Amino acid sequence: MNYLDLQDPRPIYEQITDMYRMLILKGAMKPDEPMPSVRKLAMELSTNPNTVQKAYTELEREGYIYSVKGRGNFVRDNPDLREKKRKELKDRLDAIFKEASDIGISREELLK
Amino acid sequence: MIATKNLTKSFGQTKALSDISLTVNDGEITGLVGTNGAGKSTLLRLIAGVLKPDKGSVTVDEQPAYDNPVAKREFVFVPDELYFFNNATAKDMALYYASMYENYDMEKFVRLKNAFSLRSTQRISTYSKGMKRQLAILLAVCANTKYILLDETFDGLDPVMRAAVKSLFADEMSERGLTPLISSHSLRELEDICDHVGLLHKGGLLLSESLDDMKTGLLKLQCVFSDEKDLATVKQKLDVMADERQGMLHVMTVKADRQQVAEVFSHIDTVFFEILPLTLEELFIAETEGAGYDVRKLIIQ
Repeated sequence: MNYLDLQDPRPIYEQITDMYRMLILKGAMKPDEPMPSVRKLAMELSTNPNTVQKAYTELEREGYIYSVKGRGNFVRDNPDLREKKRKELKDRLDAIFKEASDIGISREELLK
Repeated sequence: MIATKNLTKSFGQTKALSDISLTVNDGEITGLVGTNGAGKSTLLRLIAGVLKPDKGSVTVDEQPAYDNPVAKREFVFVPDELYFFNNATAKDMALYYASMYENYDMEKFVRLKNAFSLRSTQRISTYSKGMKRQLAILLAVCANTKYILLDETFDGLDPVMRAAVKSLFADEMSERGLTPLISSHSLRELEDICDHVGLLHKGGLLLSESLDDMKTGLLKLQCVFSDEKDLATVKQKLDVMADERQGMLHVMTVKADRQQVAEVFSHIDTVFFEILPLTLEELFIAETEGAGYDVRKLIIQ
């Protein structure tokens, strides 16, 4: 599953964070499950360990994972994340509805 | 840390490098990019202490690099044109390296050589170009030095080998803090793995920044104005480096951060507006064009 898309315009660290965000939200990675070590993931993806570290720092900041000194990173049990994602999706949906209504397509017509 | 200060080097009438001040931080991958003949190889040779600077200095962990065995113990250099002894096999070369570098890891060499399926009893002169490059990189990595300098790093390696070499670096970096300094023509490749990039042009250093800073300093915009007059406002308020038009669509490269751009465009009515990520290739072209290197102009008259 761990393959980076080199054609993807997103920076590598963003691809890594997105990948793990989805894995965690989908439940493919369970709470307290260990994340791959920075070294292992960097080797697997053939990328710079600093990039992987940066992705992990971002995931930790967002509350997806927690780190234990000397033992690595683990998936955090965080029910807020689902709610956050729901809000994010709703905002996107609202934006689509707004775009539709701007050009005269009603909500009902769009959902048909 | 490797640091060059006001480094200048000429070959006869040709000024190869002028006034280069560059820092290579420990634990980071630093990449050198540059136009052809910009002086990348000369810079690497100066850092490796193969050439003597005309002016300025090169220090490796505070030690001068030229003609100094103490500094040279800390790095290993893989030049663009590889050199192996006549009739030597991989094993012969490994033994030679081991006699030069006191921390040479022969066990690791044997393990990696087998993983890369290079035969140690076969003469190196019968290897293909890519196999020679693989061998040179393996020999260098096993020297267990703090720094590794590579000129045209991925030259001649197939995609699988490129990935393998990058994984090898990742391993050595997390394992023992290896610091690679690499030059390459493949911008995409450098973009993916470098923390810091130095851009050389005609012997001068145009840029030396962390890749993140570089990318946030320049942005690519795509927009369609409701009123074309607004273009003038944008050009007045933002430092527009390039503006290409395809019908109504403007593709602009601007020197600004996201906030500045958002601020300017919040007062302008657009049909379509998008900020796109800038690739290193586009950055390279934007920066060197600014310095008077526009290849397209040379070709399209």
